[in-house]
Amino acid sequence: MKKIIIILSVAFVALSSCQSLKEEWDPVFTIKNEDPAAFVPYTEATLPGFAGEFTTIQDLKALYKGGGVEIAEALWIRGQVISSDVSGNIYRELYIQDDTGGIDVKIGKSSLYSEYKIGQWVYVNCKGLTLGAYNGMPQLGMAPDQTTTNEYETSYIDEWGIINSRIFRGEFAEPLAPVEVDENKLKMALAAGYTGELWGKYVVIKGLKYDNQIFALVYPNPNLPHKSTNPENRVFLSDKGTWNINTWALSKARYINAVQVGQFDTAEVGSGNTRYGPITGKPSEYLSDGKVLGSFGRDADLTYKEIMVKYATANYVSHYFTIGKTSVQVRTSGFAKFADDVLHYDITDGGHTCDITGILSLYSGSAQFTLVDEPSVSVKIN
Amino acid sequence: MKRILFALVALAACLTLSAQEYTGGVKGIVVDRNGRQPLENARLTLLSGAQELAVIETGEDGSFLFPNLDNGSYTLVITAPEFLENQVQVTVNDGYVKNMFTLSLTSIQKVADIDDDSFAAFDLDDSGYNDNPTILFGSNDVFNSIAGYNFSSVRFRARGYISESQEVYLAGVRLNDAITGYSPYSLWSGLNEAMRSKESVNGAEVSDCGFGGYNGLTNIFGDASSVRKGLRGSVMTNSTLYRLRLMASYATGPMDNGWSFAANVSARLGGNDWIDGVYYRSLAYYFGADKVFNRNHRLSFAFFAAPGERGAQNASTQEVYDLMGDNMYNSNWGYQNGKVRNARVRKTHEPVTFVKYDYTPDDVFSASATVLYRFGKNGYTALDWYDAQDPRPDYYRNLPSYYYGNIDGDYVADLNRNNPDKYMTAKNVWSHANMYPELTHINWDRIYNINRMQEGGRSKYVQEERHVDQNDLNFAASFKWRASDAVNVTGGLSGRINKTEYYKQIADLLGGEYFVDIDNFAEREYASQPWKIQNDLDYFLEHGEARKLKVGDKYGYDYNAQFRSVGAWANGHFVIENLSADLSGRIGYESFWREGLMRKGLFPGVPTDNDMVSKWEAAGVEYAGPGAQSSYGESEHLGFLTYAAKLGLNYVIGGTQRVYSHVGYFNDAPRFNQVFLSPRTRNAIMDGITPTRTFTADANWQYSGNGINLRASVYYTQIKDQCKVMSAYDDIQNAFSNFAITGIDQAHSGFELGFKVPSYLVDDLYVQGVFAYGKNLYTSKPVMTQTVDNSAEEVMKDVLLPYWDLTYFEDGTVQRHHVPSTPELATSLGLSYSFNYWFIEADVEYFDNAYLDMSPLYRTDYAVAGLDNNPTWEEMAYMTTQEKFDPAFLLNASVGKSWFIKRKYQLGFSFNAKNILNNRNVKTGGYEQTRIVDNTVSNERFYRFDPKYFYMSGFNYMLNIYFRF
Repeated sequence: MKKIIIILSVAFVALSSCQSLKEEWDPVFTIKNEDPAAFVPYTEATLPGFAGEFTTIQDLKALYKGGGVEIAEALWIRGQVISSDVSGNIYRELYIQDDTGGIDVKIGKSSLYSEYKIGQWVYVNCKGLTLGAYNGMPQLGMAPDQTTTNEYETSYIDEWGIINSRIFRGEFAEPLAPVEVDENKLKMALAAGYTGELWGKYVVIKGLKYDNQIFALVYPNPNLPHKSTNPENRVFLSDKGTWNINTWALSKARYINAVQVGQFDTAEVGSGNTRYGPITGKPSEYLSDGKVLGSFGRDADLTYKEIMVKYATANYVSHYFTIGKTSVQVRTSGFAKFADDVLHYDITDGGHTCDITGILSLYSGSAQFTLVDEPSVSVKIN
Repeated sequence: MKRILFALVALAACLTLSAQEYTGGVKGIVVDRNGRQPLENARLTLLSGAQELAVIETGEDGSFLFPNLDNGSYTLVITAPEFLENQVQVTVNDGYVKNMFTLSLTSIQKVADIDDDSFAAFDLDDSGYNDNPTILFGSNDVFNSIAGYNFSSVRFRARGYISESQEVYLAGVRLNDAITGYSPYSLWSGLNEAMRSKESVNGAEVSDCGFGGYNGLTNIFGDASSVRKGLRGSVMTNSTLYRLRLMASYATGPMDNGWSFAANVSARLGGNDWIDGVYYRSLAYYFGADKVFNRNHRLSFAFFAAPGERGAQNASTQEVYDLMGDNMYNSNWGYQNGKVRNARVRKTHEPVTFVKYDYTPDDVFSASATVLYRFGKNGYTALDWYDAQDPRPDYYRNLPSYYYGNIDGDYVADLNRNNPDKYMTAKNVWSHANMYPELTHINWDRIYNINRMQEGGRSKYVQEERHVDQNDLNFAASFKWRASDAVNVTGGLSGRINKTEYYKQIADLLGGEYFVDIDNFAEREYASQPWKIQNDLDYFLEHGEARKLKVGDKYGYDYNAQFRSVGAWANGHFVIENLSADLSGRIGYESFWREGLMRKGLFPGVPTDNDMVSKWEAAGVEYAGPGAQSSYGESEHLGFLTYAAKLGLNYVIGGTQRVYSHVGYFNDAPRFNQVFLSPRTRNAIMDGITPTRTFTADANWQYSGNGINLRASVYYTQIKDQCKVMSAYDDIQNAFSNFAITGIDQAHSGFELGFKVPSYLVDDLYVQGVFAYGKNLYTSKPVMTQTVDNSAEEVMKDVLLPYWDLTYFEDGTVQRHHVPSTPELATSLGLSYSFNYWFIEADVEYFDNAYLDMSPLYRTDYAVAGLDNNPTWEEMAYMTTQEKFDPAFLLNASVGKSWFIKRKYQLGFSFNAKNILNNRNVKTGGYEQTRIVDNTVSNERFYRFDPKYFYMSGFNYMLNIYFRF
């Protein structure tokens, strides 16, 4: 009997000690998980593979020659974070700035503010990344998608293996103060075009005057094609003042309400030289059979207004301001938490100028502003 | 010696039974409670008080006779190997031979029990899919005893029925979950000894304790006197679920003073060989006591629970499995400080207690009544996050396919995804998971550090615990009356009050200091209306801000599912010689409603007094229009009259064969979880709710004799007007979406064969097998209504699902769609040998015709027609075809032996090896994701998201060593 007991015991111990994952007992014996070690910021000394000097952002931008450039050699840049997506007005991109300039690093992830704090140093190993531009604005991303529909010079840096091997979060530091910009500096930057030092920088422009003009492009059905080659799915809100839009942008709810009360009834479907008619009409009235079938087949007999409500989403709005004779548009996302905040009456009535702080960018030869913080912080009424 | 002589005389008398007339005596037939087959060599002991008068054994046909007894009361004790002891009181009057007719014994399970622990806890969340297998008990029904154990590994469902249709009773009380219908085995996981004694009926048979449904009924006795007498201990190790089980039990059996006591404790601990991150830290305890008063009265009490934690497994897409080289990959866990931590852990402690009263005044009438109460906590943790990146490692945007659009490996340009650099990097990460544990598993360290970096300590990620806490009070009473030699009547009453609270609470702030109770999804659309994004609007209006949550605080949603039911049933059993018939009926009423305990900003309802009106208007709360749908207070009370009827016919041929058949019709209420559109957010109920109607019929032939045991059955069941609600993120609506489906009909038909026959070559060597073949088909085109959590508007209203039951192909053929998640063809053929306390069994199994669970969204005209609203044959075939799993072939074996020590103690072991061929490609279930790819180049068609699968473990074993005395 002793032998039997020994054999059974040995068999039991042998079988019960087989473990494919050696840590399988961890959760059994862990009543409370220990807190992990605190995040350790990267420094020049700890950057993997860094053995040289940093290139300035301005020198990096200078590599751009009118088309996307894949950076094949070792090239590191560093800069301090100047953007935050906490308010929702910036999405899937991070702006960093050094002494020479700022650049949009297209990290294609949301809620970047959770890990990239304003003022924090960020190091970027640019090897394998692509320098490009969007409507003239410099961007650092990945090689463009090789799809027939792609029209960008870069794509997002959104694959985790690439993010972790290219972008390193460094020490926390005091946030940068905005660069003060007057009309002359702005004109110089516009004249310099892509290489203008101001683009991508955190700036404040003082003395801006409201121009009673907005620009917005809405897509009746955002799920359908809406590029310039699809004018049947585009409605421009421009050239007619503000369209009674007195908020920084249009949240979904605000957009639906505006459409339903007829605020945009005179807006035309179409773009460029192709204009179909007001949004009170139907695709079946405006489009040839093939186009209707291809684009709006399901909703061909709804009015565009009804389609806009059915597929409503938040929409950006650009409000125009001027400094001297130079125009600056302040572009706000409909997903921003302050999208439905009303522009202060003192601004819109033209009685007061204002100072606006944000990130300055180039958009098709014009200056464009993106607010980082809420207007109560970013916009100061004079 | 006198007793032996007496017994020999009695036996001799028994053999000449038919030739003599007696004055005073007791006779009857001993049968197996399951299947009613006569038991040969059952031992009967006749007592008068404490004095043993006679001991006899039953004959081949199970019959017995104690002749020449004086008038008076006697106790008859019946025992048989592998059956529970039974005692009955019998009175002999006026010198007649008392005919006890049938005395039944309940079998003890020989093979390892299949219980809730036998199946991995699959993390299906609220996807609406259900992958629960049917648990078949190895009773003396030859089909169940083989299929119940052997087929558990493929999550076999008998006849393709959902497991909820299997009725599970405890101490005479139906315990299927009041809200979901789920079988309640998890309540007593690990209490195998205490809950071993049970009785089962198959199909539409009626049990003594309840009417049952169409998928059998199992009643677990659960009282102290039903626990096997003596002290028992066992240690078990297995390689599929938990590494170690320790169990001990002690039962006194019925003592002379009328008391019985029993206790059972166990611990299940550890992980397993196959699914990383799955672990058990579970205990179980049971205590029961019975007391017999004045022979006729018995009062039983029991209290038990199975508290513990259990890590869950998650399904992934085939792309992930292939890249990881592991079909058992589990995305639920990751390393925290170098230690494994699972994000999805079920934490339960749900005690159950009951008091049962049995009244047995004589051998003509008996009755019992039970009051049972279930309470406690049932939590299930998950990660929750606010304005942060999705932490799931296998989120589709983290996978190579997101950067290279392909279907089954072939590049599809229309999917509009082609970035070779990203694709290659992602592929490299997933193909070298050991080098990138922070990307291929949950990155707990990163989550903590993100939380620590937030101003004020506001956590971006938390671990929530979703609770489903029941307060379940049940009453059931039943009686059994032998009205005459030819008529038996059984019946009963039942009532149930159930209040189940659904809520979630903060389980862990993961390095942060607080979390905020707002609706993440709503904020994306209504950020400028802060009242609208509140999960707890009343708190917000009172305090001017959302609640800051600490560990243990409730948040998100909080509501009660209220359920009430009453019912009555009766069965008449009529015997005319070899023919017997059962005619039974059930009637009842069920009512349920939702009771919101938290007012959500999106669905505030309407203010109920002037104070509320002023508060709401001051805050800008909109309560007219869609917002009038309320998340707070009581919903409409839904009420359903339920009824059912059954007819059973049974014809005995000789002493060995039985032909029997059942027909049943059921009108059952839908369940709470099937009718509320979005119970987490509001009181809205789907339209067109009707009772589910089921018709079932079966015919069976059973042979039991000459060592042969065989059962063959054919069945047909039609289920009509089912409904269900599924939830998923909808990429087109950019919102969490609910799909409510009504009018689901299905038909199940098939053939079952189970057999065990002597080999005739070697003594004690048997050939045994099972063959189950069925067709479980959807037979209707249901309608679907789609809503989103962020709005009261209906995205789709009563949209037909024209491809739910069929896929049409261009060549004129069709594919019928099947009820998923179980093989329709399941076969087993094996050998069984037992000798000198050894047993050896081996079998080969073959499974086929299992299908993937379908998404209703893919079966709409909308999905088939695509963006251009122009359906093509190719789109139809692609979008609506139901995937059929590959067949599977398995080899299993088991061996066991026990030794008696000093004729008093028993030491034994059993060792089971399953899937010896180490087949690691057997899909046991899965589901289509209810998501559509709409961003295509052509803008003409939609594509599916990849489905998710569960796989069976490869080679696995279980060694159980036990000690008894």
